[in-house]
Amino acid sequence: MSVAVSMEPAQFRLVIPSQTRYLNLVTGLAKRASLVAGLDDATAAKVSIAVDEAVTNVILHAYHGEGEHSVELELRFTEEALEIHILHSGQGLRGDQIVLPDPKEYIKHPRKGGLGLLLMSRFMDEVRFKADEASGRNECCLIKKLD
Amino acid sequence: MADLSIAVRQAGDVAVLLPAGFINAHTVREFEEALEGLVRDGRYTILLNCKNLNYISSAGLGAIMGLIETVREHQGDILLSDLQPNVFAIFDTLGFTQLYRVFGDEDQALAAVTPERKG
Repeated sequence: MSVAVSMEPAQFRLVIPSQTRYLNLVTGLAKRASLVAGLDDATAAKVSIAVDEAVTNVILHAYHGEGEHSVELELRFTEEALEIHILHSGQGLRGDQIVLPDPKEYIKHPRKGGLGLLLMSRFMDEVRFKADEASGRNECCLIKKLD
Repeated sequence: MADLSIAVRQAGDVAVLLPAGFINAHTVREFEEALEGLVRDGRYTILLNCKNLNYISSAGLGAIMGLIETVREHQGDILLSDLQPNVFAIFDTLGFTQLYRVFGDEDQALAAVTPERKG
């Protein structure tokens, strides 16, 4: 007798309206998912912040605050990492368009904005952006490796 | 339970703001209005007692950043106390602990600012 073992990572999806009222829901999910993946409490809190920032960017910038769109979150649990893919059909962002603020300069010249991407990059092991102009589907992928 | 509630009280010359819950893009306007209200009233020394703050995103940090120059121009400041570890991690990761004075608890924060204000 043989047992077929799927090599596909465990994964599931959540689709939310593009409204900030659901941020608490997705950050709570991200935190719980991190704990299920085996990350500790402090790391789980950081992952949830990164997800908040990524979803906020989609709602406010990709969709310009319009609440009638959808934001899709796909969580993948692999042996090496927790991957959180945030997909949308709003205005895309490519990795080469990202300019992270320098924290030292930021502190010398305080201003509003620009910190979300910095938090995402500091709290996750990898942050990738993909913009598919043909399909109009865009993605932000957050990866936290399991130690 | 609401995502965010905010209490304000006065301790001598210091306005103590106690946010409870979550500050993110959904709740930040409420937080911003509370801070702006204090500044409008001429209360330029503000202590954020974060003992009941579970979480703050960059939206909340932006609200604080937006007022820091104004309060300091009026010889005031924005102080922080009672940060939970994950909230401290956010401030510290971005280097904000160099920009703001952070205290273990409210009494330490008030003790630190009261003598200089009397002087």
